[in-house]
Amino acid sequence: MIAKCDKIGVDFPDLAVTIGNLVLKNPVMTASGTFGYGEEYAPFVDLNRLGAVVVKGLSLEPRSGNPPPRIMETPSGMLNAVGLQNIGVRAFIGEKLPFLRQFDTALIANIFGETIDEYRRMAEILDGAKGVHAIEVNISCPNVKKGGIAFGARSESAAEVTRGVRGETGLPLIVKLTPNVTDIAEIALAVEAAGADAVSLINTLTGMSVDIEKRRPHLANVTGGLSGPAIRPVALRMVWQAVRAVKIPVVGIGGIMTASDALEFFITGATAIQVGTANFVNPASMLNILDGIEEYLNRHNMANIAELIGSLNTDT
Amino acid sequence: MHEKIAMMTGEIIDNRCTAPGHFLMTLRLASAFETPAPGQFVMIREAGRSDPLLARPISVFDFHRYGDHCVLEILYRVAGRGTSLFSGMRSGDEATVLGPLGRGFTLPAGIGRALFVAGGVGVAPLHFLVHSGLLTAGAQRPVETIFYLGARSRDLLTGVERLDGFCDLRMCTDDGSRGHRGPVTDLLKRDIDDYDPSQTAIFACGPKPMIRTLACLLENTLIPCQVSLEERMACGIGACLGCAIAIGGPGRKTEYRRVCEDGPVFDLREILPTTPIDTQENRK
Repeated sequence: MIAKCDKIGVDFPDLAVTIGNLVLKNPVMTASGTFGYGEEYAPFVDLNRLGAVVVKGLSLEPRSGNPPPRIMETPSGMLNAVGLQNIGVRAFIGEKLPFLRQFDTALIANIFGETIDEYRRMAEILDGAKGVHAIEVNISCPNVKKGGIAFGARSESAAEVTRGVRGETGLPLIVKLTPNVTDIAEIALAVEAAGADAVSLINTLTGMSVDIEKRRPHLANVTGGLSGPAIRPVALRMVWQAVRAVKIPVVGIGGIMTASDALEFFITGATAIQVGTANFVNPASMLNILDGIEEYLNRHNMANIAELIGSLNTDT
Repeated sequence: MHEKIAMMTGEIIDNRCTAPGHFLMTLRLASAFETPAPGQFVMIREAGRSDPLLARPISVFDFHRYGDHCVLEILYRVAGRGTSLFSGMRSGDEATVLGPLGRGFTLPAGIGRALFVAGGVGVAPLHFLVHSGLLTAGAQRPVETIFYLGARSRDLLTGVERLDGFCDLRMCTDDGSRGHRGPVTDLLKRDIDDYDPSQTAIFACGPKPMIRTLACLLENTLIPCQVSLEERMACGIGACLGCAIAIGGPGRKTEYRRVCEDGPVFDLREILPTTPIDTQENRK
């Protein structure tokens, strides 16, 4: 199938992928927390070109977030401890969703709760919100005291949250996993069994950085989540482990800056990818990544990205 | 939908040391670069370099538009690895620039007197305000413009040569090597009672202790004051929420504002109630 053709003689490969019953026109999504509510980037990026916009993590009630300093640059990466500052799910639907609805891209609401009941209530609210195409369940934020990673670190609680949300909505569910666990495959299997349509990984790795002159942590929260190219090999390894464990799609996240980074994830078996920290460095990163993926598929005579996904050859 | 050019590559024309640890970088950019408003900033990094990962937010020091290109000047202090690498860049090198970004200064119409209060490299956005903001104000230009400029010592008073003749310059240094000996807020304190609040506006930029002192000094006056703040940023466009500053104060729930998008210029009294602008520096 020819998705579009705007250069003479060049057929663009089919980039569409499916998650649950949601068809994404291409597999490049924003990573939650790095793209605001979309409006921040709209002056710089044509949102219509993106496979999906995953919005900043939402909670049932607004959260003011952690005190500053909240970020610190580290070698090939950055630490953040924003603490899920957000306007709350109801204000999102009332104030932000109408803007996002005008774009031809899938909208994925990322939700976070301190209790399973909060997750369920948000899923219920979002289920009826016009323009929300899927829910990403964040059980992996390292920067909040309650909830988040506390659910994602164990199979039982990860499954319990997934089941709770599943019971409230028919929307496709992507469960976002933390890398700060002993066995990612076990957690991925548990949420798959509990009704997840996909898993996305990895959220940030817990990290820390110290100002040696002041002998103080660089972040007010002391620890933060490490993102950026520094974590990419770890992310890729965990995607590899998850892909081998589950049958549902795996969405790869972690330090993807360029098309070649993204291609590593597809070859390893990721059905889609999310771009996070790269958006901070260059707001147009995702468009460059998309162009690069198309160019690669054309160069390798692949008409469909499905040919590439999971094509990793591990023969020795 | 109108799409901005996300990032632009510019060529460095000049990058010279203006004072110990301070550099003035001049960049040539394509005419498509939007004209910055005084107080706005750019996110800048060396082209093609992926380490350090993030661009650095730097205020516009000056900007000029020519036939087929424009020229952007940024004045920066070497404060860490990123700016240290900037200082090693040479003419002919390329930098990527995102901007102009943020909410700049607003010059109220019809005021009689504009006061500029700068500490150290804080002179940069105020320099641009003097040159661009006042010039475009035309007939609305304040009759009197006084620039209070402070630095640790004489050699660190940077930007002076480009302000001389444009406003009434009142200088001070911590060591007394030029002008008044003491902080820049001392000089303002001496004069403040002479200024009619309805006819005066203050524009300030400088280190956090200076901003705090200024806040105390203005506590019992009605003189409006806009202040440009600085924070670490990842994106510069309001998405990462890394550059948060606390506003609120006693009895009010803490709220955060983004320096990049809600600022970098704030009404001093909006951020004042919390008094210590919550940063690492004042928790020493």
